[in-house]
Amino acid sequence: MLPPEVEYFKGCIEDHIALFFNEKAKAVTGDNYLRFLPYDDAVALKENILAIPYDIPVPNKPGNPYKVSFNYTELTVWNKIPSPDKGDWTPLPDKSSPLWYRDSSGTLIPAWNLFGNLFHLLTFGEEINPTQRDAHGRFAAAFSPRLEQNLIEVPAFNEAVATIVAACDGLHENGRPNFHLNNLLKPPNLVLSHDCDILLGNDFWTQAVRGARIFLPLLKAKPPKLDNAWWLVRNAVTPKRFYFDNVNGMIDIERCFGYNSTFYVLNGSGGRFGARYESDIIPELQKQIPPKWDIGMHYNYNTFLDAERFEAQVEQLKNILNTDIIAGRAHYLKFDPEKSFPFLQKYGIRVDESSGYADRIGYRNGIAGCFRPYDPAQKRAHDIWEIPMIIMDAVLVRQYGDRYADKFSQLLNHLKYVGGALSVIFHPGQFFNPEYKHMLDVYHNLLMRSRDLGAVSETAKSLTEKNK
Amino acid sequence: MNIRLIAEGEEEACNKFHNRLYKTNRTIDQWRWEFTLNNYLSKPVPYAVVEDDGAIVGTQAFIPIRLIDKDGVYWTAKSEETLVDPSYRGKKLFEKMYALLFEYAEEHEFSYIWGFTPAIKAFDRLNFTIPGKTGQIFMPFSARSIAPMMAKSTIGKQAGFGDKLKSVLARSGCVVAQSVSAVKVALNKNKNIGDLEIRTMDQPDEQTGELCRGFIDHYGGTTIYRDADYLKWRLFDNPYVKSVVRAVYDNDKLLGWVAFMLADDGLGYLVDIMTTPDDQIYKPEDLIRLLLLEAVIGSRNMGATGIRGWFVNKHPFDKLVRRTAREIGFYTFDRGNSVVLYNCSKGKERTAYDKFDDWYVSRIYTEGVLG
Repeated sequence: MLPPEVEYFKGCIEDHIALFFNEKAKAVTGDNYLRFLPYDDAVALKENILAIPYDIPVPNKPGNPYKVSFNYTELTVWNKIPSPDKGDWTPLPDKSSPLWYRDSSGTLIPAWNLFGNLFHLLTFGEEINPTQRDAHGRFAAAFSPRLEQNLIEVPAFNEAVATIVAACDGLHENGRPNFHLNNLLKPPNLVLSHDCDILLGNDFWTQAVRGARIFLPLLKAKPPKLDNAWWLVRNAVTPKRFYFDNVNGMIDIERCFGYNSTFYVLNGSGGRFGARYESDIIPELQKQIPPKWDIGMHYNYNTFLDAERFEAQVEQLKNILNTDIIAGRAHYLKFDPEKSFPFLQKYGIRVDESSGYADRIGYRNGIAGCFRPYDPAQKRAHDIWEIPMIIMDAVLVRQYGDRYADKFSQLLNHLKYVGGALSVIFHPGQFFNPEYKHMLDVYHNLLMRSRDLGAVSETAKSLTEKNK
Repeated sequence: MNIRLIAEGEEEACNKFHNRLYKTNRTIDQWRWEFTLNNYLSKPVPYAVVEDDGAIVGTQAFIPIRLIDKDGVYWTAKSEETLVDPSYRGKKLFEKMYALLFEYAEEHEFSYIWGFTPAIKAFDRLNFTIPGKTGQIFMPFSARSIAPMMAKSTIGKQAGFGDKLKSVLARSGCVVAQSVSAVKVALNKNKNIGDLEIRTMDQPDEQTGELCRGFIDHYGGTTIYRDADYLKWRLFDNPYVKSVVRAVYDNDKLLGWVAFMLADDGLGYLVDIMTTPDDQIYKPEDLIRLLLLEAVIGSRNMGATGIRGWFVNKHPFDKLVRRTAREIGFYTFDRGNSVVLYNCSKGKERTAYDKFDDWYVSRIYTEGVLG
């Protein structure tokens, strides 16, 4: 009988393999070749098996990351464990950057704290004990101990599962781990979504911000930015232009690539951080969204862990759309790793995309795909899927400038060789809006890169439904 | 050297040869879509290769396409994948591959072999006729459309003062042109023509083939037979860029469609437009206007910097599209590739033989990366 944490982790691996690998991968990673054991038992085992120790403590700050070549890409692992002192263990592929230690009996153990590192990330170990939070109460990438070591963009879970599959496949074939995944992987998935924060460009707050931007430079003795006046007037005359109309444009452009996506609509209270459009435009929006695309709820800012308000928002949207609301993402990514999952689950949310960073692109949970978060009280998985958001439109461009498309390709190309799903959020107002010139063509370029890398489209909902 | 049709297992080698010479990154799935997964089920695949010492050094292919005229549906071939390794030039490999394919065309009763190319001399030597040239209809949405529109004429050239000046003038002209177009679009977009419904096709409508038959009954001549199978292959399964297909319906009766897409160069492309010729209730030009506006607004909403399409000859529908396009803000100019056309013996029996103005041609004929 395995400890519940280990059972949970094993389940996460099985779910991940079912989604991103083929049937053979599923078969070879069964109990015949993969076992989770306490460290002492793992190193004492003398069998042709991959034994993963689950009782090695993990520090909050990652130690000594290093890279290993694997399946046409490079993996990054950290918290190396020393070679066992008893037995005849060989580091593989080499001593300087080992992925495995192999005993002459055939037993393999990982050369890094595989279970510890990943369980820590999947259970929000970096952020559970309140450390720093930003002005919106969020855990930012800037607070992650992985950031210092450039580990934020490492899909550690995906990499680890890929190595497990390759190792088990090798054990099955010839008793030695493979370092490639020939014909075991499915194409990478692209999970697209759009937070409909603004659908009409003439709302009070958007216009007020433009108005302020005209005159703010005067405070610094600089000339006023009059172009804001143009956008103010333009959206006063044609409020849907570059916002609501962009929803149609995004659907059409996705059609051109055979992709689809989820639109998260924001209803409920208005305000600076609230909904910026009246809910009566939502039925019109719903009419534009074809059946293969999904609609979910963008949890309003003031509904964060507020039962009454959240329930009211759900009920209102349910009545407007005439359908159950099962998918969503928090506005401003306001999200609590301990309280949000049971809270969302209580109100019928089954698929959530809130676990991402607002300040950087990256893997908040070290996973590119989906997982069921751990419920420490019940000692099992919550009945909700989390699809961590990896890339936010403006953040990608702000962080990488002209190299944004190359960075995107790099992340997706890596997933092509380790398996996984890249979740990307693109706001309709950023998609095609000359007010934000630096964002023009960005979405199109990302979709072209995805096509060229053979990525297959899934919505958050369709991805998790495949795992039922 | 061995000149023959492609053998099983040579697909990758042919695709690599293409990628090497054109410096592209076409995938094997894209190759298969074009040459083996199309609507032509007969074997062998009409794809000629020159093999020298185990290496592919030349290719020439047909994409079999069905056309329709008043006597029914018939097979033709689009010439594609004309490629000879530069170190093998002067050995008449193109002619030799074509000799093989001419035999194939006769044997499989193709009526015409056609294509679009700037390299007409080689085709001229093979007795192809040059019955026309493609022209452009174009509407700019942004001065950014100038770069892709001028791209072909500047490839391989170092931009001198003249080119830079030309570009500046073109950009300035574009700002004026796009403003005029925007006004025309605005004036036209609210013209209502009754209780018609615009739908986006998620899959081809089974009525498309019937609409093609009606089109030919009315206009005569010939055009691609756009039945549901063809549109599925050509537009909906296209692995490069799929088209957005907007269709106009009267209740559930299909009256016409327009196919457009956003290409990698940021321009919108008007791939195809067809309407019912039944003018008892709706005038064809009204339907054309409605559909062209759908393509304009649709591609503009996708972030296209402009939209371009073809005009080709004096076919009455082509002329109608061109005229309506001008009315709603498109500009026309003569710049494009020559049409090359070879009449097989079967082609001489068809009604459109030797009358290229009887052909209704849109960009859907390109059968390639760009619609």
